[in-house]
Amino acid sequence: MRSTATVAGAPAATLEELLGDPYDAGNPCGHAAVLAADERREPLAAAERVLDGWRLNAEFVPVALGGRLDRVQDLITRLRPVFRRDPALGLGYGVTSFMAAANVWLAGNDLQRRRVADLLLRGERLSVAYHELAHGNDLMRNELAARPDGDRFVVSGRKEVINNASRAAGAVLFARTGDRPGRTHSLMLVETGSLPADRWEVLPRFRTGGMRGCLISGFAFDDCPVPATGLLGGLGEGPETALRSFQVSRCVTAGLGLGAVDAALACVLRFARGRHLYGRTVADIPHARDVLAGVFADLLAADCLVTTVARSLHLLPVHASRYAAAVKYLVPLLLEDAMRSLGVVLGARGYLREGEHAIFSKLTRDLPVLGIGHAGGTACQLTILPQLPGVARAAHSSAEAPAAVFRRGDPVPPLDLGALRMMGHGDDPLIGSLLAAADDRTSPDLRELAGIFRADLFDLARKIAALPPAERGVQASAPAFRLTERYALLLAASACLNTRRHHDGDPFLGGDDWLRAALSRLAVRLARANTSRPHSPEAHGRDMTAPLFTELLRRADAGLGFCADVEPVSRPLS
Amino acid sequence: MPPTPALSHDAPAAGGVPGAPAAPAAGPFPLAERLERHLGDPAGTAGPFTYADAVRLDEESLFPAAICADLDEFGLARHYVPAEHGGDLARYDEALQMTRAVARRDLTVAIGHGKTYLGAVSVWVSGDAAQAAALGATIISGVPVSWGLTERDHGSDLLAGEMTATATEDGYRVTGEKWLINNATRGQVLCALVRTRPEGGARGFSLLLIDKSTLPEGTVTCLPKVATLGIRGADISGLRLAGAPVPSGALVGREGGGIETVLKGLQLTRTLCAALSLGAADHALRLAAGFADDRHLYGRRLADLPYAAHTLGELLADHLLGEALALVAARSIHTLTGEMTALSACVKYLVPTLTETLVARARKLLGARSLLLDLGVGGRFEKLERDNRIVSLFDGNTVVNLHALINQFPGLARAWRDGPQAPLEAPPEGLRVACDLSAPLPRFEPGRLSLVTRRGLSVLRALPHAAHELDTLARATPALRPVADLAARFTAAADVVHAAMARQEQSRMDVPPGAYELAGRFTLCVAGAAAVALWLGNRETWTEGLWRDGAWLHAALTRAMDGLGEPVPGDEPPFPELAGWLLEQARTGRPVSLVPGEAVPS
Repeated sequence: MRSTATVAGAPAATLEELLGDPYDAGNPCGHAAVLAADERREPLAAAERVLDGWRLNAEFVPVALGGRLDRVQDLITRLRPVFRRDPALGLGYGVTSFMAAANVWLAGNDLQRRRVADLLLRGERLSVAYHELAHGNDLMRNELAARPDGDRFVVSGRKEVINNASRAAGAVLFARTGDRPGRTHSLMLVETGSLPADRWEVLPRFRTGGMRGCLISGFAFDDCPVPATGLLGGLGEGPETALRSFQVSRCVTAGLGLGAVDAALACVLRFARGRHLYGRTVADIPHARDVLAGVFADLLAADCLVTTVARSLHLLPVHASRYAAAVKYLVPLLLEDAMRSLGVVLGARGYLREGEHAIFSKLTRDLPVLGIGHAGGTACQLTILPQLPGVARAAHSSAEAPAAVFRRGDPVPPLDLGALRMMGHGDDPLIGSLLAAADDRTSPDLRELAGIFRADLFDLARKIAALPPAERGVQASAPAFRLTERYALLLAASACLNTRRHHDGDPFLGGDDWLRAALSRLAVRLARANTSRPHSPEAHGRDMTAPLFTELLRRADAGLGFCADVEPVSRPLS
Repeated sequence: MPPTPALSHDAPAAGGVPGAPAAPAAGPFPLAERLERHLGDPAGTAGPFTYADAVRLDEESLFPAAICADLDEFGLARHYVPAEHGGDLARYDEALQMTRAVARRDLTVAIGHGKTYLGAVSVWVSGDAAQAAALGATIISGVPVSWGLTERDHGSDLLAGEMTATATEDGYRVTGEKWLINNATRGQVLCALVRTRPEGGARGFSLLLIDKSTLPEGTVTCLPKVATLGIRGADISGLRLAGAPVPSGALVGREGGGIETVLKGLQLTRTLCAALSLGAADHALRLAAGFADDRHLYGRRLADLPYAAHTLGELLADHLLGEALALVAARSIHTLTGEMTALSACVKYLVPTLTETLVARARKLLGARSLLLDLGVGGRFEKLERDNRIVSLFDGNTVVNLHALINQFPGLARAWRDGPQAPLEAPPEGLRVACDLSAPLPRFEPGRLSLVTRRGLSVLRALPHAAHELDTLARATPALRPVADLAARFTAAADVVHAAMARQEQSRMDVPPGAYELAGRFTLCVAGAAAVALWLGNRETWTEGLWRDGAWLHAALTRAMDGLGEPVPGDEPPFPELAGWLLEQARTGRPVSLVPGEAVPS
């Protein structure tokens, strides 16, 4: 089911193969080495060399510029082995290089695109320099200033909590460039090697609780001259560019977290099969099986949403803004809850930084960084809020997304970042597809499950229609925020239903077992988010997850991963 | 939003409202307030107990020895020893508040020091008077005691324990290993659960109070400190015994009574564990409130954004719901001792779980700051979240506690069914005393601890009566109408939960997963009922601030209803006002608690 559209230069071996067995204590890229590097707060050098050799950076560079970036979904799945091994390796090596470069692919001129492509293909890094501590997600109050001065800008100010600032060849800098209302900020590409050494410096490292191996610091500029040729797009176009490139990076960041939970699930399943309690293995205890299969179901639901949104970036670019926000809002929540449930099964072993299961506590610390990094949940909800009316309209229209959005194996048109919009336009097609799929299911229990989402959509549409404009911005009340949560859950349900609907004949995704489990769990969340109606977990039946547990064991025994695309993993079979 | 006068403790005090910074402690927990004053301002640089030290010691994985020595000097260990055995422990609610005062500064210290109580509890429950007096003297002299229950391969499955004691002429010879034991290395005395019948079984285990300093060389080995996610400075290690000779006087209770004693002791320790969660929540709420107060986003103070204020209000409500349950449960140790088997499981499941969610939501409010160790409060927050995760894992984890409740479903459901038939029956005296914080507590009698709750939980049986009482009060005071209506709905919701419990099939081995969820809902019923009872029990003592018009009860019950999946029609609870109160408490250093208290710098 993987795309066969590989590009010249793609290595023969997968990263999963190159990184080897994580549980092999002698593996320089295994869990033991990962944990030791984490203790030292260092990047894992051996694994970074593997990524160098695999030319990971080529994944960040569009095919047209000599790299391997084609479908966004492939970027996510090709990086999955890295995040399965060590999220700090993935972030630390350079996902931020991609976040920075996306701005260049979008707004840069040919020369800038060429330079950045060459730089990345040489194995160098770019920092993405938006963040200022005082302003968080509030971009428009960023203070770092770049004053136009002939053929250069004079930059003063600081960018803080910037990954790889100390070892990047350059940065994409979000700077205040003027006072014209609506045109105050611009993006610029800065190659730090060419700057006068006495006018800028790398800030001391910011130590973090999770992702301890990442080299996070920042930049300080003091009247530093920067060539005007670095300006990306027009003066004052920074926010437009940023809000488009964020759509890609939000989707990618959300999707990368799946690898970490895949690894955590494998870790706890291993524990459950080996640990004897009360005269049997933990994996024989119904509660433990339910938790493990439930996490598997949530992982599949998250994958469906991520992949659908990744494909929407290509196929439905005018709607992608709220999709990207929804995926970055919901998926980290699903993943964090999954870790919490797994932790209950793993018990005290999940609290140790040593021993066979120590990777679990590291993943527990690393994941929240991915959730907060590059726009936390609330910022994403604020992106969705003003776009809710398009959702309400879709509840009463027949506009449906094209089937290609859900057919994971299908090719997609090249990513056109310029086609992305800051705000979604028109009726929401994925919501339209939710209604179509809900009507389409033939088995009675799935019709009933789908009916829950359909009914919720109509209720949601009524509430959106009644929402005054003041409730669609930062002053929105808690009930208004809850509508964005319900929207994200409906989107996930649509992704699951339609993935199943458009994969007839697929041995796994074409079956109903996973769909039933995924939907029943999303329904419980939806009921919690809709506080105006009673809900009881009993209403959704209990054995939805049982068949999925069988599939989980089958995959573990066959050496396969736990995401929607069935792919081989290097972990030992039990 | 500005601090709402209606919820400020500065409001004119009717009936001697505590909260004014008057010198002598007037609150219900004078010893805890004395400890607070002794510990002083942890945000400062002076004094042995500072946040900065706690974070530094954690980073270096060093035991907080100097801080513990200061606690010894204060005499905290005396409070681990019951008064009848020579110590100062007379009230378990006060013990809860004292541990909480330590925990809100640092969980490593609270756990590392407080562990001695866990080590000793078996003796308080089943030991003879001479043994208890001797252990009391040992503890008061500053010797740490640890509790050796778990083994490497068996975790919470105590009946699978392999450490074995073989009878000798004058005692036992003990061989085996205990692992993941708090203070196993630092502790001089270990209370170990050992197999005394080769075939094991419920009567096959006993407890031995082993003094390591008396063991011959070569018979005892301390295992290396284990690296942990949180409380990195704590001494989590183990002990290996190889033919260690232990005198017969070391036996706690009778031979074969080990499991029963442990199960009774856990009823006390699981209840007290709430202090650790409450302390962590105190700390997290202060940090979140301080951040929301200072932080400006989108041109406004974060605390003024409605969503942020609502979130803070909800977090506080969750905290108060847990606090109400913990306070009622800790006092019930004295007055409803026979109910502790179910009540302690409720506390140990719900309070840590609520707190984990609370801390995770507070983290999202703090955003990137929560993860940056060197900035502002980041290091403190990041540490407290790691530390707090252990509370739901030790001393009986989430699954163990829910399972204990599931086993009691038939009796609990029967008691509920029989209870509401007499809604006007006054609550039993034991419950009245448990819920009135100004009522003196009778002495705790360990002999009344039981392994089954025969007549259910009084606090639940009394819920219909309490809802009725609220309704009566609301007739005279219309401001109480929303909370009275909510209490009636809550009672109906509890009825639904109990009906499902009655339907639950009992199966020792294959407990269906849904039963765990149901047990979790049951604990919310207990917590909500405790909140109602606590408000009614103290509404004449405290009439201002959070207590006025049932403000905190309205919010806490709404959160319990949310957890039960029950809609709450009618007025939104005063979450923004609660947030305003929280900000004010954080600014002035007053406790983030239902119990008004004096300001303590923090």
